[in-house]
Amino acid sequence: MSLLIESAMVLLVLTNLTLLGLSRLRSCIRVVAVQGIVLGLLPLAAHADDLAPRIILLAGGTVALKGFVFPWMLLRALRVANVRHEVEPIVGYTLSIVIGIAGFGMSLWVGSRLTIPGAAAPPLVLPVALFTILVGLFVIVSRRKALTQVLGYLVLENGMYAFGIVLVGEIPMLVELGVLLDVFVAVLVMGIAIYHISREYDHIDVDELDALRG
Amino acid sequence: MSEGWLLWALLGWPVAGILPCLALRSPRVNLGWTSCVVVAQALLASAVIRAVWIAGSLRMGPVLFVDALSAFHLGVMMIVFVTSTLFAPSYFRHAIESGEFTPWGARRYAALWLGALAAMTLVLLSDNLGLMWVGVEATTLLTAMLIYVHRTPASLEAMWKYLLICSVGVAFAFMGTLLVAAAGRGTQDALTWTHVRKAAGMLDANTLKLGFLFLLVGYGTKAGLAPMHSWLPDAHSQAPAPVSGLFSGFMLSAALYCIMRYVPIVEAATGGTGWSLRLLTFFGVASILVAGAFIVSQRDVKRLLAYSSVEHLGIVALGIGLGKVGLFAALFHTLNHALGKTLAFLCAGRLGQHYGTYDMTRMQGALRASPLWGAGLMICVLALLGAAPFGVFVSEFLIVKAAVEARATWTLVLLLTGLAIIFIGALRHVIGVVYGLPPATPAARRPGPVEVVLVVLPLAALLVLGLWMPDGLRRAIEEAAAVVGGKP
Repeated sequence: MSLLIESAMVLLVLTNLTLLGLSRLRSCIRVVAVQGIVLGLLPLAAHADDLAPRIILLAGGTVALKGFVFPWMLLRALRVANVRHEVEPIVGYTLSIVIGIAGFGMSLWVGSRLTIPGAAAPPLVLPVALFTILVGLFVIVSRRKALTQVLGYLVLENGMYAFGIVLVGEIPMLVELGVLLDVFVAVLVMGIAIYHISREYDHIDVDELDALRG
Repeated sequence: MSEGWLLWALLGWPVAGILPCLALRSPRVNLGWTSCVVVAQALLASAVIRAVWIAGSLRMGPVLFVDALSAFHLGVMMIVFVTSTLFAPSYFRHAIESGEFTPWGARRYAALWLGALAAMTLVLLSDNLGLMWVGVEATTLLTAMLIYVHRTPASLEAMWKYLLICSVGVAFAFMGTLLVAAAGRGTQDALTWTHVRKAAGMLDANTLKLGFLFLLVGYGTKAGLAPMHSWLPDAHSQAPAPVSGLFSGFMLSAALYCIMRYVPIVEAATGGTGWSLRLLTFFGVASILVAGAFIVSQRDVKRLLAYSSVEHLGIVALGIGLGKVGLFAALFHTLNHALGKTLAFLCAGRLGQHYGTYDMTRMQGALRASPLWGAGLMICVLALLGAAPFGVFVSEFLIVKAAVEARATWTLVLLLTGLAIIFIGALRHVIGVVYGLPPATPAARRPGPVEVVLVVLPLAALLVLGLWMPDGLRRAIEEAAAVVGGKP
């Protein structure tokens, strides 16, 4: 059980770092999709000894949404907006990776100091969840394209999901479904917004949306 | 307990009301239908409030639960919703006639509006802290598209900022919710409020504190507390007036309501040291001062009102932080602010339509150009600034009193400074708008009877609340305050 969880955690770290170094938006979407699939399978690994139907259902739903539906929706938005690359991000790719590694070190340190009562999870989970949240936030603030910010939001959400699945354990099914539905609607609405931004401005560079101040 | 079905009805009715919206062709009929659904919802809500009044609380199944605190907010929510829904036909009349508000636009507007009503009802009705979060996030997503009704680049920008900042903010609140659940590991139903509230003494205090920080920043973003308020003036100024009224009148308070739910838990778990209250005081004072700084130099009337919301939500947070009388005043202030601010946005919206701009230097002589909306805006702003004898004056006075009683000298000094700056700053702008000679524009359309009632009724209520507090309302607020203030 813990071997499975730990390999999933390693995959999460790798996908995070890859995302920080990629410029092609299409590849970014794929990396986040892979991360979503890994996360969707995480509840199966965490409850490998007693697989209740609700866990299988939840895992199936998460994999379907995060691994296939979201990427499909985002790729569509990408086609409509007609953008290929994240051109000149606010923080360059090499520097992003360096910051990412530093962030991982920091998460390991914080994770070792923070104790969650009664958590039976492998020790790697907490720092990796924190790291994923940090990477999500960093992508949101350091990239110009609206689409990349949506990816950042998804990565942030993934980090919280990892935290919840392994550290909190029993979350009622209703809440899990509600959260999943919310994320789905979030991506849907953000996709619509990207469509309108690309039509209105001929680009989806968020840093040029700066007419409203004061 | 027999009235428990009412809670299901309250949650299901707006959702059921969405379906006909999608079929109706005429925008005017669609807005009329929305009004019917909202008024019926208000009747259902008053039945729930009455049941809570008699029984103290109402429960249906494991997840739906209403106590005095949620019943009070339910009342405020329905006042705001009814006012702004009934106002929508008059606001959109011109857009419908000119064809800008298409049947599809109206369908989308009505469906999202009722969706937002359902989501906010879910926030108030859920006993489960996770579902409460789901409701808050749903309100963000459903109302985002409402900002983009007037299809301008600026409203698109506002919508994107709102969507992203609030989604990320509310995601932090989710982290906080998870940490609270982690703190209650080992207790049963670690996400059910009533259970967590009872078992608060057994929670791990440090994890809970960390969780509360996340919750405060997360829900605080949605409530527009400084320094997380950056989305607020943009969204409020670009949304159509009924939506701005809804945002300011209730959506912000709904987020603050979520924070209120956690205060007694954290206080009980940390042994009543006032740790969470001090944090709320800090954010409250910061919001008042930041709002003051921006109000002085503001030119856009809707942005001015938006910053005034940052101020008022700050006052409510400060009131909760001060406790005792402050807590009572904070809830009373929520009601007063909802009455005044919703109407202020509606009046400003109509004036803006008349002048074709929201720039206050170009909106002169509103009182002559459009007496009803001009006078409405003037009285609303006066009331919101805390002028006697309106309700806001009483609630602000009580908060000052609470600060004196708590011997919080610095808080008191900063609060009074902030209020004085805002009073002078805002009044200077609004007097310019209301008096003076109007530019040569065609006379405004004579307001219909519904519009007159919509303006006069909230103002009369504010005036009455300033002069006389009905016993029933006093008891309702006292019981709601007791939920936050730590009655076990």
